[in-house]
Amino acid sequence: MPRRLRWLTPYLFLLPGGLWLLAFFVVPMIVMASVSLQEGSLGAGYTLTWNFPIYGEVLNSWATQIIRSLWYALIVTLLTLLIGYPIAYTIAFRGGRAKNILLLLVILPFFTAFIIRTLSWKLILADNGFLFGSLKELGLLEPAFRVLATPVAVISGLTYNFLPFMVLPLYVALEKIDPHLIEAGNDLYASRLQTFLRVTLPLSMPGVFAGSLLVFIPAIGDFVNAAILGSRDTTMIGNVIQRLFIQNTAYPEAAALGFVLMAAVLVLVAVYARWVGAEALTRG
Amino acid sequence: MHDSDWQQTGRQAGAGAGDREVERAWPRWQRLVAIASMAVLVTACGIAGQSPQPDATGSTDDPGMGTASPTETVVSSPTSGAGETAAPTDPAAATATAGATEAPTSGPSASPDGQLSFANWPLYIDIDEETGGYSTLEKFQEETGIAVTYAEDINDNSEFFGQLQPDLAAGNPTGYDLIVMSDWMIERMGRLGYLQELDHGQLPNFSANAEDLFRNPWYDPDNRYSVPWQAGLVGIAYNPTLTGRPITTFDDLLDPAFAGRVGLFSEMIDTMSLTLLSLGVEPANATQEDAERARDKLLEPAQQGQFRNFYGNDYYDALAAGDLAISMAWSGDISQMKLYDNADIEFIVPESGGLMFVDNMAIPSTSEHPVDAHMMMDFWYDVDNATTLTEYIGYFSPVRGVPDRVREDAQTARDEGDEEWADQLEVIADTAFPSEEQLSNIFPYKILNEEEERVWNQLFNEVITD
Repeated sequence: MPRRLRWLTPYLFLLPGGLWLLAFFVVPMIVMASVSLQEGSLGAGYTLTWNFPIYGEVLNSWATQIIRSLWYALIVTLLTLLIGYPIAYTIAFRGGRAKNILLLLVILPFFTAFIIRTLSWKLILADNGFLFGSLKELGLLEPAFRVLATPVAVISGLTYNFLPFMVLPLYVALEKIDPHLIEAGNDLYASRLQTFLRVTLPLSMPGVFAGSLLVFIPAIGDFVNAAILGSRDTTMIGNVIQRLFIQNTAYPEAAALGFVLMAAVLVLVAVYARWVGAEALTRG
Repeated sequence: MHDSDWQQTGRQAGAGAGDREVERAWPRWQRLVAIASMAVLVTACGIAGQSPQPDATGSTDDPGMGTASPTETVVSSPTSGAGETAAPTDPAAATATAGATEAPTSGPSASPDGQLSFANWPLYIDIDEETGGYSTLEKFQEETGIAVTYAEDINDNSEFFGQLQPDLAAGNPTGYDLIVMSDWMIERMGRLGYLQELDHGQLPNFSANAEDLFRNPWYDPDNRYSVPWQAGLVGIAYNPTLTGRPITTFDDLLDPAFAGRVGLFSEMIDTMSLTLLSLGVEPANATQEDAERARDKLLEPAQQGQFRNFYGNDYYDALAAGDLAISMAWSGDISQMKLYDNADIEFIVPESGGLMFVDNMAIPSTSEHPVDAHMMMDFWYDVDNATTLTEYIGYFSPVRGVPDRVREDAQTARDEGDEEWADQLEVIADTAFPSEEQLSNIFPYKILNEEEERVWNQLFNEVITD
């Protein structure tokens, strides 16, 4: 390459990724923003009227669902963290030669489609299915007991579906921890618990951060679990957007709601990143 | 100036970056200008892509009356520079394309292409339990040589419409040549120009055999875009064992004794219309005030957990399994349920009135095999094929003479000693065809214009989401 064109090199390297982002992220975002500011209907056509008040309306109408989705996603993230951390820890430090097999077992559910896994939960949690049905027959549960169509079912489904997303980044982060550091902690008279809290945990923060993001962000927008395992009272913002878009063909409202959700998530993630601390994240 | 800009960026990027040979980087203001101008360019294309067009097929207040044919649309093509059109592209462009795909005018001598893609609802065709094959479609292939790809892709009218709409609006093939949509959706799609006009010259069986009840329906005058597939009643189904008593009225759905075990439909028009009837209002005459009263009637029970959920087709599994004690239902489903899944379930038309829905075969505007589609449509209006279909799926057939044929077959089966099949056929003969009494208590839906649809949807949203 001629010397005077050398400055192009970094941009040429960025070109494939950049074009991809441009085509599949930037352009759709701009289109969606444009749609959200339009008014009209399928029959009469849509016009761009810069209808900014729609964001206020949307926030007003669907505040409950937004908050509920945030709340559910938060609970799911905490649950996956509580369940996933011991799993990742065991595989990383006690896995030995079985590490690969154990990791495979964690990922194995992913070989089935997301919807099928959720539907199978519907079968497992069925009111009178093999689990609760037999318990009811034994008299351990009252006949009116049910888990399906409650928030418990939705959160369980979400936790189950997103657990591998938490386990894998945690595993990677824990794997990288130099065991000598832990040894050093022990040498300096720290108990097992203290070593964990003051050495292992801080060093695994990048994994915790990555895992939380990978769980929280999709969980907020999820609508499959709420649709299959939930009821009217567990409606999440993803269900609302789907209904607005598909049933009601209210495209501007759905687009505006999508942006509101995105903004909420961005704000939360920024706060979270600040709280965890940029240093802890970029530490190798 | 350029050098220091880069070095500053380098320091922020982390260790080692400042050591790199300095390359030229755009100063901040130039980057912002580049991004902003790109955004403006794309948005401008987006706007130009949907200049408002007059609705082609008449005003939105007068839908379905077919005042102007889709070919008379005046369309100015989108003047976008980069040719971009935003997601809800204007339908007038679609009607221009739709107009271009008017009914094949070549008459019965037009040759079929030999393939057809047929989308339908689940449980709506005869299936051979063992082989998974469709005997009627195989018969069709033997007679005409057309290979049919059958897909049970439709679960909800609005969902399926949402799936097809972008392609139809852009004039692209949807992958389906023949679809089955409910009455109100046919009205909407016809109005938007998304359906091909039918050439009744290619439908002799329909002209000869269709019941009068199904000709020239309220949602598609003169059967311009569709011919009926099957009809059924919208009413209430219940499990007498779980309810403990017979059910007769709509208000039984709101009985606190059944709290948490009641199902309603997620399809707004069905649930709202049935509720309106229970308020003594005929849906066709309902005003916005009436719709609000219907919303009020459902809202409080919904907030108190009366309804387990709002279902599409999946109410069937919940009802059969016993998760629901009582639910809104479609009559043909219950016929099938009695035969195959749960014989206890009963279907009734509520005292205040029920609805009759008609599902119809129609050809999307961008279908590439319209002649094959016409032949398939006409195939189902032959009495033999219609009888086979009804004997399997148990819905209300639009073809004259089917009820008698079913009873004949039941008698033949009994004579031959096949008691089981004879019993099944008699159940169908009794439940699939509404009695005179039921038909007298059936009301038509209201044709909603877009504004009304928006308002009713909003009201229903309050009920269906917490």
